[in-house]
Amino acid sequence: MPAPNCLRCLARPPPGLATPVPRTAAAASPLLNRPAATPIGTRTRAHAAPFSTTPAPAGPPVKPATPVGSGGHNRVGKKLKLGKFKTDRAAERSKVPLPGERKAYRKRITLSNDNALPVPWLADLTPSSLADPANTATVMGLPDSLQDQLRASDAFKPSQSWGMFRKPAVLVRKETVDLVNRMQDAADKKQTLRLVVTGDKVTGKSMLLLQAMAHAYLNNWIVIHLPEGQDLTTACTEYSPLADTDPVQYSQPVYVFKLIQAIKKANENLLSKMYTAVGHPGLPQSITANTSLLTLANVAKEPDAAWPVFRALWHELTHRSVARPPILFTLDGLSHITRVSDYRSPAFELIHSYDLALLRLFTDGLGGSLRLPWGGAVLAATSRSNAPRSPSMELALAQREAEQLQREVPKKDPFFRGYDERAEASLRSVQVLPVGGIDKVEARGLMEYWAASGMLRATVDNKSVSEKWTLAGNGVLGEMERASLLTMRV
Amino acid sequence: MASSAASLLRLCLRPSRQLPRLRAAATRQATTTHRTFSTTRWRRAPPEDEAGDEEGAEKIVEHDPSHRNPGEYFKAFLEDESINAEERAAATRALKDWERLPPSEMRDFEKLLTSLDEDASWLRKNEVAKRDSFWNEDEADPDLITDELGEDDFEEDDILAMGHAKLEEHREMREYARLAVWELPLLSKLAKPFQPPVDGEILRFRYTSYMGEFHASDRKVVVEFCPADVPDLSEAQQLKLKKLAGPRYNPEKEIIKISCERFEHQAQNKRYLGDLVDKMIATAKDPTDMFEDIPLDTRHHKFKKQIKFPKEWYLTQERKQQLAAQRQQALLLDDAKREKGAMVDGMQTIQEALAAARAAAVEVPVPVAKPLGRGRR
Repeated sequence: MPAPNCLRCLARPPPGLATPVPRTAAAASPLLNRPAATPIGTRTRAHAAPFSTTPAPAGPPVKPATPVGSGGHNRVGKKLKLGKFKTDRAAERSKVPLPGERKAYRKRITLSNDNALPVPWLADLTPSSLADPANTATVMGLPDSLQDQLRASDAFKPSQSWGMFRKPAVLVRKETVDLVNRMQDAADKKQTLRLVVTGDKVTGKSMLLLQAMAHAYLNNWIVIHLPEGQDLTTACTEYSPLADTDPVQYSQPVYVFKLIQAIKKANENLLSKMYTAVGHPGLPQSITANTSLLTLANVAKEPDAAWPVFRALWHELTHRSVARPPILFTLDGLSHITRVSDYRSPAFELIHSYDLALLRLFTDGLGGSLRLPWGGAVLAATSRSNAPRSPSMELALAQREAEQLQREVPKKDPFFRGYDERAEASLRSVQVLPVGGIDKVEARGLMEYWAASGMLRATVDNKSVSEKWTLAGNGVLGEMERASLLTMRV
Repeated sequence: MASSAASLLRLCLRPSRQLPRLRAAATRQATTTHRTFSTTRWRRAPPEDEAGDEEGAEKIVEHDPSHRNPGEYFKAFLEDESINAEERAAATRALKDWERLPPSEMRDFEKLLTSLDEDASWLRKNEVAKRDSFWNEDEADPDLITDELGEDDFEEDDILAMGHAKLEEHREMREYARLAVWELPLLSKLAKPFQPPVDGEILRFRYTSYMGEFHASDRKVVVEFCPADVPDLSEAQQLKLKKLAGPRYNPEKEIIKISCERFEHQAQNKRYLGDLVDKMIATAKDPTDMFEDIPLDTRHHKFKKQIKFPKEWYLTQERKQQLAAQRQQALLLDDAKREKGAMVDGMQTIQEALAAARAAAVEVPVPVAKPLGRGRR
């Protein structure tokens, strides 16, 4: 049996010994010789331990087993014990949620409700139904495979009330038909639609983006969706500088790794049928020409390889020599990226969002300097509830909208400093799709769906539709939901 | 002897219970309304009874602490070049008389002078209110109608000072009432008809009058003009003029407004403003630097949005008819739907679904019910 303490340990003073050694004794024995000058605020006890970066453990200091200088005359008498009749609170307390559990609960997405009634006349979306003006003001269901794809690419948001109905369904609006037709036109002509969806709070901007994605998935487009601009710019995901870039760009390996997983899952069918046009020898696993793109995407086994794989994938998807499907590249929460990010360079200077490689790719697409040879669309949606102030974005969108309506274009305030020139440059030639309230016909279609699902306990006639439409500030969708669905009054 | 002299002096200096001098002067002023109406400040003429010929006499009475006795004083007086021969002779005589006095009397005189100085020193001292006294009680109150000095000493030969002051107040009010009735209507004779400015008159001045009262801003003059009205200015020059005016330019009204109260008199301020405007126009015309790189700054001005009730929102007869027609149409559509059975009713849907579930449960006891198609999770 080995001894519990080695001899060297015994030679040291015990760690709990707080009494300073007298100077004479220190001078006398070389073993206990310590520097005479002690830094202010350090206890004598700290000298026994070597320098360490780990913090001292919380809680009361460890008492030595025997009191220091204990003689035979120290009695252990009766001790005062406070709260001896109290029960153990810790045992009563229920289990504390694990790390991340609360957030997962908060962010969970429920897409169905077994208690809601199935709507008999609900038709599923077909590849052409969103482009058909005849479907305006009808509610249409999302097919199962599409649900999987949209879920994989994080298109659903927890704030949207999917969890109230038997099956996820969307209202086809005039704006939807307009947007989808523009997308389809651009794809047919092998052009790139560059468009920003903007509008007031809860008017359905993200939902319009979801409908665009639904159309793209149904028509076999490749869809790349960045669900929140905020995730990329608030410095909550890792970043690393990219070699051979001047000015230095930064990749976000973990985010891109997850993005590749999402792309792979959502576009699996398409990717498995497409083959590489050129070889990619630089990747962790060398890819030769004529390998399926799914295999290429699978090369990203860890975050370190994510960015090169993503570049290779993008290169293949936009390769001119092989016929490829159109690409839909979308981002929600535009105002988070049209500004300086929270990341810092090694020189501790703030990094502009456009110097983050993934966002650079998106904004190049939005600004028009990046062409999609096989057509497609680059769409962005603004957010109004969680959005930092982005004066250049606001101004640019207002200007584009005024240009479209041939009104007087608002001018830049010459004495305001907060503009961002790079953001302005990227938004100089985009189209703007303003989203407002729905009209009464659309409101009626929506409310009939709600009533048929058993979620709205009222007769859907002209009076009730007008009432809710007016309450919702001329048919703002989210407000209509609040006025009729999310209220406790039945 | 010295103390008796000091008490005599104190007696002389005791305030009379009659009105103080300043108050008398104020009432006298109010009655002098014979001056023509003017915006310039009036000033009091020097009192006639204190004219220059008595200055010499005043000098003799004047107490100068540098002369210890009459001998010294007369010596200093004789050194003055401006006195005439008669005065010189009299002074020489007085000096000789003084020098003939025995030295003990001279000393007594000096002693008397010293004691008088000491006793009367509190009279000469400036009375300064104590700063942190309780309720500032040492401070004189200018709002009271009397000056509160010695007004409690009543010798049964007159009414109290407060009574005098009240009477004086009545007199003053009557004086003003008389003025308002008899003299103010006469001012309308002086009124001039308004004449709108002609083409050349681009400056608009504003003056402030406090009706002869002294006020800190009675000298203030304000000028306003519109850069577009200035003759022979091109667009670029007008813009430069606006930029030169800085925050004094109102972009909503397009007017430059400058004020001046730097000088003592209105006329001086007005002259300054006129010169300034000339200088600004000359600078605006100077082509060396047209400030093209500086945008017009309007940050100082808050634009007020004029909100008008939209014309389309007025409920005209036509609009009412239109709305009624729309509602009728909607009702007809609702009726048609109801007849067809296409009207969706939330409550009814729920009842039907519950009834169907119940019926299914009755028909097939085991298993409980054919479950409805389960949605996706």
